[in-house]
Amino acid sequence: MAAVTLTNVIKRFGVYEIIHGANIDIADGEFVVFVGPSGCGKSTLLRMIAGLEDISGGEIAIGGKVMNDVEPADRGIAMVFQSYALYPHMTVGQNLSFGLRMTGNPKEDTDRRVKRASEILRISELMARRPKQLSGGQRQRVAIGRAIVREPQVFLFDEPLSNLDAELRVQMRVEISRLHKELGTTMIYVTHDQTEAMTLADRIVVLRGGHVEQIGRPLDLYDNPDNQFVAGFVGSPKMNFIKGRVVGRNTRSVTVELVGEEKARIIQPLAGAVPETGAKVIVGVRPEHFGNAGEGDADLTVGIDVVEHLGGTSFIYARTAHGEDLVIQRDAAKVPETSEITVSIRKSYLFDENGQRLR
Amino acid sequence: MSSLSQRRLGRSLLLHLFLTPLAVIWLFPLWMMIVFSTMPDNGIFSPGIELLPHDNFLANFHNLQRDTDFVGAIGISVSVAVTYTVLSVLLTSMAGWALARYHFVGKGFVVAIILGTITLPYAVVLIPQFIMVARDFQLANTWVALIVPPLFNSLGVLFMRQAFSMMPHDLFDAARVEGVKEWRIFLFVALPLARPMLAALAIILFLASWNNYLWPLLINSQPGAMTAPVALGTLIGLTKVSWGGLMVGAVMLTVPMLVVFVLLQRHFIAGIAAGAVK
Amino acid sequence: MRYQNATAYRFLTPYLLIFAIFWVWPIISSFMISFQATRTVPWRFAPTFNWGRLIGDPAFFNALKNTLLILVIQVPVMISLAIVMAVLLNSPLLKARALYRFAFFAPVVVGEVAYSAVFRLMFNLDFGIINKLLAGVGLVKIDWFSNVTPAMALIMIAVTWRWAGYNAIILLAGLQSIPEDVYEAATLDRVSKVKQFFYITLPLLKPVIVFCAVLSIIGTMQLFTEPFLITERGGPGGGTETLGLLLYRQGFRSLNFGYASAVAYTMAGLAITITLVQLWLTREPK
Repeated sequence: MAAVTLTNVIKRFGVYEIIHGANIDIADGEFVVFVGPSGCGKSTLLRMIAGLEDISGGEIAIGGKVMNDVEPADRGIAMVFQSYALYPHMTVGQNLSFGLRMTGNPKEDTDRRVKRASEILRISELMARRPKQLSGGQRQRVAIGRAIVREPQVFLFDEPLSNLDAELRVQMRVEISRLHKELGTTMIYVTHDQTEAMTLADRIVVLRGGHVEQIGRPLDLYDNPDNQFVAGFVGSPKMNFIKGRVVGRNTRSVTVELVGEEKARIIQPLAGAVPETGAKVIVGVRPEHFGNAGEGDADLTVGIDVVEHLGGTSFIYARTAHGEDLVIQRDAAKVPETSEITVSIRKSYLFDENGQRLR
Repeated sequence: MSSLSQRRLGRSLLLHLFLTPLAVIWLFPLWMMIVFSTMPDNGIFSPGIELLPHDNFLANFHNLQRDTDFVGAIGISVSVAVTYTVLSVLLTSMAGWALARYHFVGKGFVVAIILGTITLPYAVVLIPQFIMVARDFQLANTWVALIVPPLFNSLGVLFMRQAFSMMPHDLFDAARVEGVKEWRIFLFVALPLARPMLAALAIILFLASWNNYLWPLLINSQPGAMTAPVALGTLIGLTKVSWGGLMVGAVMLTVPMLVVFVLLQRHFIAGIAAGAVK
Repeated sequence: MRYQNATAYRFLTPYLLIFAIFWVWPIISSFMISFQATRTVPWRFAPTFNWGRLIGDPAFFNALKNTLLILVIQVPVMISLAIVMAVLLNSPLLKARALYRFAFFAPVVVGEVAYSAVFRLMFNLDFGIINKLLAGVGLVKIDWFSNVTPAMALIMIAVTWRWAGYNAIILLAGLQSIPEDVYEAATLDRVSKVKQFFYITLPLLKPVIVFCAVLSIIGTMQLFTEPFLITERGGPGGGTETLGLLLYRQGFRSLNFGYASAVAYTMAGLAITITLVQLWLTREPK
């Protein structure tokens, strides 16, 4: 088992820098998820930890040892690929043991490890089959099994669930969680799916455009995002962003008026710098933070476009008088039949024009 | 019957009416090769038109063997072609693998010269190759002379490069992360997956070696060291030679390849068509 | 992307070694030999010896003329025929496709020596089946081996028979990579089959046709075995002598390596020039 430390890690392809100095500390035994939209550099970062991509600058250490120039096989890692990367011409058993056989591991030890992995993943009865004869979920298990067999210090997962259908994905998510509890090994997991990140991670690293936007525990990111990107990325449905303008201020708080809604004013206490009067800001409100009229800071009357009933809760897709789209979460019972609804903002986040959080 | 299917029928008829005579013409030389090989020499050189096989094949074979040691030459041809194919497949797929899998200094240059040699006539290297092998290395009339110089081939390398780069590279990365050495990844992961392509390549290379004429004619011209095509070639144009026997030789060179062609047509065609599909 | 120079070159070394010894060095060596008088011992540097002889040698110009003549007539005829074969073999209306494919593709596996022998017999003046058939339908027999024009025609017929199917295989693969829906769309637009061939098939097939043409040009440029074996060492009287044959006679009969190397470089120069012109003429519009 080992901690993983990334210090100022940079990746360049030719003249293009695509990772701009990442600093990430991963504790021993921690489950960390790299999440971000496609092209954010999360997979590249993972492949750099694995040693499949060169490190253009900075340092990657595993278990306290700098790994920049160490071969992938000697880094104490095992990797599960998005495509599973199972050898199509070998049986499941051969797939599991291939690496050990090829590196001259003693046969009894190889057999023991394969047996253990197949028991952990409940694939013992599939050992004689070929990848082609397996379902997607079974292939995924074999791919994970191949990683377990290595008894690594760190597991690396590269979008392992993205080829599965929705139901299997939930099932495998639980399975991977269980595996982490059982093995207690450090795991680094890459995904573009924030739900996977929220449900699996001890801590999440949010990446965008090669920058680390924020690192934190799932609920911290949800409750206390550093910027508009993280606020929008974490949580489903997405946080609503409404344009606002500062209309009043003192040293401890600021009064914001929503654009086009003269009556809707929010007073927000601020610990840090307070923006000037007249400054443009963005007000972020999660769908679940809209209350009944009069419950919160500001009331807002919006036109209802579409209502989605999910059973217990419903999502109202609405539009402000100023033409901004909103998603409002409500108890199913409390959705009116009218074409308009008045809601209040119970909790909101303020961001400056550049998307940085004001707090 | 609707006019649409009538039109299709008319078209189909026209197609077959054109293609059938062409196919007959195309098969005619091969058919005549077999017919000639079964006719006595005085039958071949008689005024009648003979289009059906006779029963003189074995006698012709004995005549051929009297004119030249054709069985021995076939033995050399088979051994040389097999050895050449194995070595060349190995060499070509190793080079193709390197070009498909690795980034290395000079890669663009290597690819460029390989492409360049496609347009370069073999004639340019023929004379120095001959001088080098025959005079400098003193290897004339040996197997090495037949096998080694033709080992370089450019289309095969490009074919294998294509084959390897179409495989998912995650497979190789997975093995690499597991600590498998690159040459083992090549042998135990890449090569088994490339089996159909290797088959196509092997067939084309075998055929090339089997039918090769100019180089073996120059370098292994001594009786007892000749390949089958060279041995047969020495008989063409002799005044006192059994033409029935010559045709038996032609049949022995051709028919096995035709059988291989029919059995492995898919690989055959894949190998030849490889040049076109980029 | 990691640079793995050592590993890569370990895989490449055997191949590059063969390449260096049997291609790179000979290419250089051949060039140098062409500037040496090679029938004296030791060879001596004489830059104009071979090249000077070349430009004044009627045998060279005869071989050059014959080679170019075969090139200009045989290659276009064969490529056209191969296109027709490929298109017709690709037709969904064709029955017994395997049989037709066998007929056209079978010559691909036939060795030069074997088919040269058969063609010699088939085209024999008095006893050849071709002349017997010509006489049978009331035409005059042709003396294929004693007159230059029929002898050249025979060489072209033989080469076309041997290589048309080979090109058809490549072209057929190209045809099969053209998506079917292009033709379906054209049919819906009432474009006739013939127009589809000229306005869809040919343009989309152009790169493959160029590839075939380049390979055929380089092959024909070096034509050796057919005039060597069928028309008996380029007969009648040098009437079918090609550059390949001239090189063979000069290099390996007269052991005049310097002059043969000059011929070889002329062939290479021609092949590369024609290929470049071909590529330039058929280049993709920018």
